[in-house]
Amino acid sequence: MKVKICGITSLEDAQAAVRAGADLLGFNFYPASPRYISPQACRAIAEVLRPTGVCLVGVFVNAGVEEVRSTLAECGLHLAQLSGDEPPEVLAELGGLAFKALRPADSQALDGMLARYPARASAPAWLLDAARPGEFGGTGQSADWRLAAGLAARAPLLLAGGLKPENVAAAVRQVRPWGVDVASGVESTTGRKDFHKMVEFIQAARRADLAAEPASAPRAGKYGPYGGQFAPEVLMPALAELEEAYAAAQSDAAFQAEFERLLAEYVGRPTPLSYAARLSEALGGARIYLKREDLAHTGAHKINNALGQALLARRMGKRRIVAETGAGQHGVASATAAALLGLECVVYMGEVDIARQQPNVQRMRLLGAEVRPVQSGSRTLKDAVNEAIRDWVANVGGTYYLLGSALGPHPYPAMVRDFQSVIGREARAQILAQAGRLPDACIACVGGGSNAIGLFQAFRADPGVALVGVEAGGEGLATGRHAARFGDPRKGRPGVLHGTFTYLLQDADGQVAQTHSISAGLDYPAVGPEHAFLHDSGRAEYTSAEDGEALAAFQMLARTEGILPALESAHAVAEAVRRAPKMSRGSILLVNLSGRGDKDLDTVLGLLDRQTGGAQ
Amino acid sequence: MNAPRDLNRKPTGLERIRAAFQAANRAGRAALMPYFTLGYPDAAASLEVIAAIAGAGADLIELGVPFSDPLADGPTIQRSTQAALEQGMTVRGCLELTARLRERGVSQALLLMGYANPMLAYGVELYAADAARAGADGLIIPDLPLEEAAQAQAACLANGLALVYLLSPASPPERIAAAAGATSGFLYLVSLNGVTGARSRLPEGLEGFVARARAAARTPVAVGFGISTPEQAAQVGRLADGVIVGSALIDSVSRSAQPARAAAEFVGNMLSALSPQPPGKGAGERSFVGEN
Repeated sequence: MKVKICGITSLEDAQAAVRAGADLLGFNFYPASPRYISPQACRAIAEVLRPTGVCLVGVFVNAGVEEVRSTLAECGLHLAQLSGDEPPEVLAELGGLAFKALRPADSQALDGMLARYPARASAPAWLLDAARPGEFGGTGQSADWRLAAGLAARAPLLLAGGLKPENVAAAVRQVRPWGVDVASGVESTTGRKDFHKMVEFIQAARRADLAAEPASAPRAGKYGPYGGQFAPEVLMPALAELEEAYAAAQSDAAFQAEFERLLAEYVGRPTPLSYAARLSEALGGARIYLKREDLAHTGAHKINNALGQALLARRMGKRRIVAETGAGQHGVASATAAALLGLECVVYMGEVDIARQQPNVQRMRLLGAEVRPVQSGSRTLKDAVNEAIRDWVANVGGTYYLLGSALGPHPYPAMVRDFQSVIGREARAQILAQAGRLPDACIACVGGGSNAIGLFQAFRADPGVALVGVEAGGEGLATGRHAARFGDPRKGRPGVLHGTFTYLLQDADGQVAQTHSISAGLDYPAVGPEHAFLHDSGRAEYTSAEDGEALAAFQMLARTEGILPALESAHAVAEAVRRAPKMSRGSILLVNLSGRGDKDLDTVLGLLDRQTGGAQ
Repeated sequence: MNAPRDLNRKPTGLERIRAAFQAANRAGRAALMPYFTLGYPDAAASLEVIAAIAGAGADLIELGVPFSDPLADGPTIQRSTQAALEQGMTVRGCLELTARLRERGVSQALLLMGYANPMLAYGVELYAADAARAGADGLIIPDLPLEEAAQAQAACLANGLALVYLLSPASPPERIAAAAGATSGFLYLVSLNGVTGARSRLPEGLEGFVARARAAARTPVAVGFGISTPEQAAQVGRLADGVIVGSALIDSVSRSAQPARAAAEFVGNMLSALSPQPPGKGAGERSFVGEN
């Protein structure tokens, strides 16, 4: 679904539109339009925007071929939209450079227009607007959606006319256009675009488009439109084998009992729920409770899933496990589970992550695992997943792929969620026992999202409990250096990576984007598909914390509670720090402290050194 | 889904693919299908290399559409697609190169091989339409198994494109049957459990795998992954209707100061290895499964 924001009159609005996720921007050269822009002003904006890859469109009314051509060239625009009563020859002479805006009163009028103006060879073929005799361009009136649907079925149609955040979803469902065009519907006052309205509009259009995909029978492993099994053929039989083995293990009381025994006797569960009295006091609002996954064996929640899957691997008769790791926590957990169960273990880890998480690399080696450095791509978590999958593909018979987050092809997202759901089950019982009621919100950081989905699972049916996922805001969403899949609608769009359909940070060409976060565990371009579903359905909300906020939260928690959180978990703490002061003292925030911060000491001390160095 | 049907139209992609296999069959050999990455080492050079591959007589050509995370590919193709992306290659750029190959008179069947995400980002229907318009004859999407392919299948059908499914030695009989029934153009047999890349010898059990697939297939079957030498190609050519060679070709092009010449030479050597050596088997003796 493409979105064109039309009637741009300032650089500020243009940049906001690009940030909001627009694919095309329109500049109106019709002098009578309230959104008129001079070619000179347009050229200055276009110069700045061209590198973003957004398609820039000039809107003309009854201009001649030469005027259109020279204006496009002078301003550096890609396409012309002809919104007047141009003779068909003008369109023909401009060839692929122009598309026609049609404003038919009825189907007869439309047929007449189509005879005069054939479809442009590539998208968009036409634009369809509301009929308003004597007026040209955007009038704010709705087009005839029934006519539009017929036209959209013939060729890629750009639908315009009275669209706004409130009605665009209905229009998309009924018309199924190639793209939608909006001007006044996303403005605060005439000619001034409103960023939030643009975001709302674009997201509503894209969601409706996804939801309107041809309906297929609901399949296991789908979360709304998300999830699935986008895997090479060689893995499909292995995934089927895994699905079957996992289903059998789930209904096997002996398997479940063994898992629970290990969680209690080896991991040290249940982990405590700690009331953070001094932190709550310092913030002066909601009471904050911490679910202490940092106290699980190996220092993070990752061990819950690693043990569950390693038990499954052993049950399936696999002697070798491969795993990927970002921060090293899942690698350590996998190496630990493999040592405990006597399995061979190979961990793939990006070279960049190896450099910033040395203590965990040493830990894995001491536990008997082989750590294989990954040099391809960005040399971080996503590339480690690629290599782990390639290893699995090559050794599919005897090897088990122990995926560390609620990601990847089905059944991994469901399986990882199930093994992690012990977090939420314990936390729900503990908060009821300690506080006598459920929390107002559950907060967890979201990389792939396994600790978050494990916490959320127990509270999903509690309507009064808000579920809040915190993504890595990196150096700020505006800088592009972050890992906020939901937070950056321009780069974060549904796509396929590592076997699943989910929100994915990517460029306009569908190439996976580079990510950045202070925390290696959140530094990943995709998110678990169930989070994509929770996001779109509105059951969970997703926000982000920047590197600096996470670092400040890390320090605050250390000094008020005597706990060094993992930098990943510090993102969740940062969200609590933001929220608590605005809430009453009777309210409760439950924060998942997914891991401990010992592994991050080098990173944190380095950054703090630089901060104090800068202050001197 | 609304492609106009013109009786005086040029052949559809499917027809061109079928004709390519039939022509090779008439010559008494398996079809040779080289793979090369669009945009490697840069756009202009890849155009020369692919034109040379065509000029040297390849029967069909796979055009690699670069993706940032090619998880079914080994180091050689990874490096080539990465280099192409660094040179600014895009999906749109790949379609333009395809059109330019046609303008230069390349008449072979052309198959775009690329991962799902760039296609989804472009828009599945639009991608199929633009690919057909550019002159491509079919799509191969290694991370789009049957279960997820409904939309792509419909888009290919509407535009006369083949959508080629893959099978692996691990595929059980029911998956072989399903892929054989759904594929169009040909059936792509991945010779081994692993990623693309040159190997020193052919995998064991290949003969049985090809036989199982052939028994189910209604189209020609072609074997790819791990075929690097003319000798290996000849061995595979005795089993299958098509032989796909990628990494070894890219390796030899990468090593050479004259990429186009190296490519032509490579293809020439492969073709002579595939061709019947008199007094060997004649054309009439080859069994061949035509598409129904």
